Amino acid sequence: MQGMRAASLGVPFMPVAGLDGSDIPNVSGFHRVRDPFSGQEVWVVPSVQPDWAILHVHQADPLGNARILGSPFWDRLMSRAAKRVIILAEEVIPTEKMARQPELTTVPHLFVEAVVHAPGGTWPTSCPPWRDFDEAGIRAYLSAIREPDGLARLLAEREAADHAGDSNGGPGGCTPWRGLDSPREYPSIKGGSAG
Amino acid sequence: MSTKYHPADLMAIVMAKLLHPGETVFFGVNSPLPMVAVHFARRHYRLPIIEVNIAGGIDPDPALLPRSTAYSDLIAGSASVFDNTDFYDLVSRGGIDVAFLGMGQIDRHARVNSTAIGSFERPKVRLPGGGGAAVIMPRARRVLLWRAAHSPRIFVDRVDFVTATGNIDRVITPLCVFRKEAGRLVVDSLHPGVSPDYLRSQTGFPVEVSEDTPVTLEPTPEELSALQELDPDGIRYLEFQS
Repeated sequence: MQGMRAASLGVPFMPVAGLDGSDIPNVSGFHRVRDPFSGQEVWVVPSVQPDWAILHVHQADPLGNARILGSPFWDRLMSRAAKRVIILAEEVIPTEKMARQPELTTVPHLFVEAVVHAPGGTWPTSCPPWRDFDEAGIRAYLSAIREPDGLARLLAEREAADHAGDSNGGPGGCTPWRGLDSPREYPSIKGGSAG
Repeated sequence: MSTKYHPADLMAIVMAKLLHPGETVFFGVNSPLPMVAVHFARRHYRLPIIEVNIAGGIDPDPALLPRSTAYSDLIAGSASVFDNTDFYDLVSRGGIDVAFLGMGQIDRHARVNSTAIGSFERPKVRLPGGGGAAVIMPRARRVLLWRAAHSPRIFVDRVDFVTATGNIDRVITPLCVFRKEAGRLVVDSLHPGVSPDYLRSQTGFPVEVSEDTPVTLEPTPEELSALQELDPDGIRYLEFQS
């Protein structure tokens, strides 16, 4: 966390509490430095700047403003720490709707590079509170990745189910998710330079 | 007279009773027993504690306990959303009184290994990792560790890798409760029906235990029925299934 904090702040390292007695600093190359103000020693960790943060959210507008309902877990920090951000959204909603409750926007569009409309995109994991995890789907995934081309086969099955309009389906099936209240014709990729 | 119960029932009730009024109590991911214990303490004992969970809830009131302790049901009824950075900031600055933490192995000096058995570079067994334990264990005021199994492979003389150590108060297992005293794990109480010899045979370091060792209080029928009412789906048993 403090590594990504450093990246989000544009500084090379960050102090971190705890770690005393742990072997993790030794194998991870953390350092202990003296606080120049108090003289006390503190562990520091280097900046961790992901090239990409790919964040699945509940709602986004075509510009990349994104709402995460419930806990953002680490996503808010990741959106600030990464060099580039892609948003995957259960629903794409108009910007005017976002602007009516701006305090719900977790990620503002200014550092978002692309928006993908990806309903059900967390399958077989959950998208709480809209969709629980799909235990049968997780088991299907775990067995598929043990066979050659198993993942490709599973994804093809899933894609076919999606194109058949059965976005709740797929191997094992998903718990139904709350219906879309937005049309699907919103652009799914933001225009502009990819750098 | 003893009532029939599962070790998970006893462990959940013991963990609930180890909480004190006024404490701010945290549990994280993959923590079914602590979740049941915290909610049992709040609902059955009406213990005035503050629950902080990794799902982002503070004092939530879910209709049913979820199978995943990171699921958003644990925000239901919470008046705020407290995300992971909020929690780590709070524990770092000393604001968590009790943290429940899981573990791979622990040694006689109360050092936890959740990283690797064998060398770190070429481990015999790669364990799942400690999550934030290395930060939480020295910074939470009291740490309650638990494990749904008790064997010489888990309770070892010396761990190969110290993932975390710190303010360990108790370790709750299906056989006993340990406490940390003068830097070592000692038996605090032996669960009903567990013999001193059996505990010794299942523990990989010497334990001082005798006929005089206190026995853990058995759950009462009232506690057991309240526990069943709180957790009708038996989430407290999940960690005992392999």
